[in-house]
Amino acid sequence: MIWRWGIFVWIAAAMAAAFLWAPLVPVLQETTRVLYFHIPAAWVTVIALGWSMIQSVLYLWKRDLRHDDHAAAAAELGLLFCVAATVSGSLWAKSMWGSYWNWDPRETSIFFLLLIYGAYLALRGSLEGDEKRARLSAVYSIAAFVAVPPLVFVVPRLYSTLHPDPILNASGRVDMDPTIRLCFTAMLVGFTFLFAWLQSLRVRVSRLERRLAT
Amino acid sequence: MDRNWVVLGVSLLVWGLLFAWILRVERRLHDMERR
Repeated sequence: MIWRWGIFVWIAAAMAAAFLWAPLVPVLQETTRVLYFHIPAAWVTVIALGWSMIQSVLYLWKRDLRHDDHAAAAAELGLLFCVAATVSGSLWAKSMWGSYWNWDPRETSIFFLLLIYGAYLALRGSLEGDEKRARLSAVYSIAAFVAVPPLVFVVPRLYSTLHPDPILNASGRVDMDPTIRLCFTAMLVGFTFLFAWLQSLRVRVSRLERRLAT
Repeated sequence: MDRNWVVLGVSLLVWGLLFAWILRVERRLHDMERR
């Protein structure tokens, strides 16, 4: 139980530090605070989808449904965090660029990501039989993840974008105020642990569902 | 009152409610697993 409260205190402290201690980025002003939610949500999206792909590979290799449980849970959570990143980004865009949606390369990429993983969940929902669902979903998940690095890391760098430079810029450096960087890193860590906790819960729900169905 | 404190307070409240909800879900899940 203690580590759960650790996650709570960690994220609460990072939020407080972001509001009360970290300076504002001059061009962003008050909207700087969205940074501490928007980017960690996008970060967890990539981690979750990557974990889904790894578990899919493990399922095809070992044919153990526990890996399928992990793959499905991670894809669901990845989609959830992707929606969170999209909504927060859209509100931020309204404030900074005057419109909720601008078909900016990053916005377009995340839109395709939502479609691809929405289709993954639709596929899972349409298949009967645990083995068949797990096998076809695993193949789809692996194929889907091939699109993630280009959509998240390559496309937005190829075209001119309204978004600021990536955190790790073209010269391989992180140009960020040290205080902002500390709060930001703390949120990344907090979100990652939150994802791990939610992932374990979702997997337990899947196992319980299977136990009740048999 | 400083707007910073208001927004921070709302953010912490939302995070607290979400955390409490996840804990509740976990407790119920634990009960169901033991049955």
